Amino acid sequence: PTPKDTDMEMEVPDAAMNSGGKKFALPVDSENKATEFRIYSAAAPHMRAFHLSWVSFFACFVSTFAAPPLMPIIRDNLNLTSTDIGNAGIAAVSGAVFARISMGTACDLFGPRLASAALILLTAPAVFCSAMANSAVSFLLVRFFTGFSLATFVSTQFWMSSMFSAPVVGTANGVAGGWGNLGGGATQLIMPLVFSLIRDIGVTKFTAWRIAFLIPALFQTLSAFSIFFLGQDLPDGNYSRLQKSGDKHKDNFKQVLYHAVTNYRGWILALTYGYSFGVELTVDNIIAQYFYDRFNVNLHTAGIIAASFGLANLFSRPGGGLLSDIVAKKFGMRGRLWTLWIVQTLGGLFCILLGKVGSLGVSVAVMLIFSVFVQAACGLTFGVVPFVSRRSLGVISGMTGGGGNVGAVLTQVIFFRGSSYSTETGITLMGVMMIFCTLPILFIFFPQWGGMFCGPSSKGITEEEYYMSEWNSTEKDKGFHKASLKFADNSRSERGKKVDSALTPSNETPPTHV
Amino acid sequence: MKSHLLTAFLLLFCLAQTGDGGVLFSSLPQTLVVTASIKQGQVLIAGEDSITLTWGLNQSFVGRTDESYKEVKVKLCYAPISQVDRKWRKTVNDLSKDKTCQFIMVNKPYQKLDQSFKWSVEKEVPTGTYFVRAYAYDSAGEEVAYGQNSDAKKSSNLFEVQGISGRHLSLDVASVCFSAFALVSLIGFFLVENNKKKRSTDN
Repeated sequence: PTPKDTDMEMEVPDAAMNSGGKKFALPVDSENKATEFRIYSAAAPHMRAFHLSWVSFFACFVSTFAAPPLMPIIRDNLNLTSTDIGNAGIAAVSGAVFARISMGTACDLFGPRLASAALILLTAPAVFCSAMANSAVSFLLVRFFTGFSLATFVSTQFWMSSMFSAPVVGTANGVAGGWGNLGGGATQLIMPLVFSLIRDIGVTKFTAWRIAFLIPALFQTLSAFSIFFLGQDLPDGNYSRLQKSGDKHKDNFKQVLYHAVTNYRGWILALTYGYSFGVELTVDNIIAQYFYDRFNVNLHTAGIIAASFGLANLFSRPGGGLLSDIVAKKFGMRGRLWTLWIVQTLGGLFCILLGKVGSLGVSVAVMLIFSVFVQAACGLTFGVVPFVSRRSLGVISGMTGGGGNVGAVLTQVIFFRGSSYSTETGITLMGVMMIFCTLPILFIFFPQWGGMFCGPSSKGITEEEYYMSEWNSTEKDKGFHKASLKFADNSRSERGKKVDSALTPSNETPPTHV
Repeated sequence: MKSHLLTAFLLLFCLAQTGDGGVLFSSLPQTLVVTASIKQGQVLIAGEDSITLTWGLNQSFVGRTDESYKEVKVKLCYAPISQVDRKWRKTVNDLSKDKTCQFIMVNKPYQKLDQSFKWSVEKEVPTGTYFVRAYAYDSAGEEVAYGQNSDAKKSSNLFEVQGISGRHLSLDVASVCFSAFALVSLIGFFLVENNKKKRSTDN
């Protein structure tokens, strides 16, 4: 077939040639972003980036939540109170608030490969040094610095949004994010297992938990090495090389930041993500202790139950991303917004129920249903984020991601610190707060596509106008906006099939419809 | 559809019943006398020190009271100060849920004469303030009486245990070395990237 480099979605199945004459294993669009997501492939650069990012993010999650399943041991070793434990849990997720926003900027400026490898190596010492904690203060400090590593979420989402095209970006983001978050569940199984193995060889328990922490630390370090040596920022190459050759210009930090913070949609998504992902982080911190203390199960069992919450991420967050993409095919961005609101609100309802249930079996069942909904909501959120801004994608992703952590901090401070509420009451109230903080989605409006209750603006604003508004005329003269233009073109699919695309000639409508 | 959801919710609510409880502490007679060979405010080192415990029936209760006592467990219990802001050590009247006494020091069949035991503070006893309580069990394994070395308010005859830190020099050294390795590698990465950049500008 003759290569058509102006076509958006080429149906060439295996190899695709673009204007630069490069060959990719997956079909690509005009930005060389893959238009298909093939999970069993590890083909460079698209699928390889996917596997590198989710594995490294998984490692960071394992490290950040390595303490909770071992808390019954640690709290006795370090003589911690509930307040100490609560504070450490808050510290674990608060560092990443600003780290995520900084990471967004770092990705915009230096590329996800360097940004994530650097952060992972900078936080690995905190995990190694967890073995040396000997007081409430030192314990809080190691959890605080380890938590910074959760900013790799932003580089993951940024990397996926750079490698995958609009029709599959929700899925790519959802699977990468979900499989990374899996670490929060896997650690609840891994750490008690490693701990008991070490104990079985005769090590006393107050030493065994310390040695156990070396495992996630080593895993994290190894993943950073893999990213550095095997990864690539964009389908066309790394930032440093592309910036030198002039294919990619080094953007202006102030402008990037300005266009992110002045976009209200970023703020709303930051809040709502605080009550899907933030809730997930909170539950990762409190759930093992909850089952251990309330239902008198042993450490191992509490770990397994807690793990199943995080392990649902295997399919629930990716499911959310996939659902976002499926709904968008027919209903466009409006469908994405509606689905997000419905799923997250249902998550809140099940959270309320979880706190009310008093028997072990039913509690586990409700927790599992709750986990599916709250994690799917996370996936659905990042089906919307890539479209909020093109120029400031990194900072918007960082703000949303950071908002997730703010939600975790707030929720733990209000409901799970010290002894003001019993854990079960805290869980119910958290569910109520989830429902309220999801309502702002009703106010998100894209002039080119509409919002939950309104259709697109009657002024007929196009995708190009929306994304071009981020560049001023001087920048346009220099041609910096070209990538945004391509993206705007590719994002036309967010209008959905319901809208008669006879308004603009679109290559995706088959000829018979014209 | 809506009514199905509502029914499901209601059903789940109804199922939220807890199981039946155990023996209530307030129902137990304090018929045992327990003493521990400690000085007021003494600090015991875990894994090193030991104390002598004695327990037996209070002589004013001699008679038929101890017919059902088959077994005695002497337990190490948290004093109120070590329970503050620690829900997992909470005192609850229902003994099946009570978390006050988490360590069994001695477990012996009940005898009419006073018994004593030299208990070494185990390595894994956490740092805290404690007292000693003995429970007498019947043949069904349920508590029927108790005694403790402290008063009813659990404020006298308390002793402290200093737990082990769990840290070892070799472990500390390993942590520091691995941390240094990670940071040095990062510097290495930056140098490699800078070299690459320089080489592409030179070209």
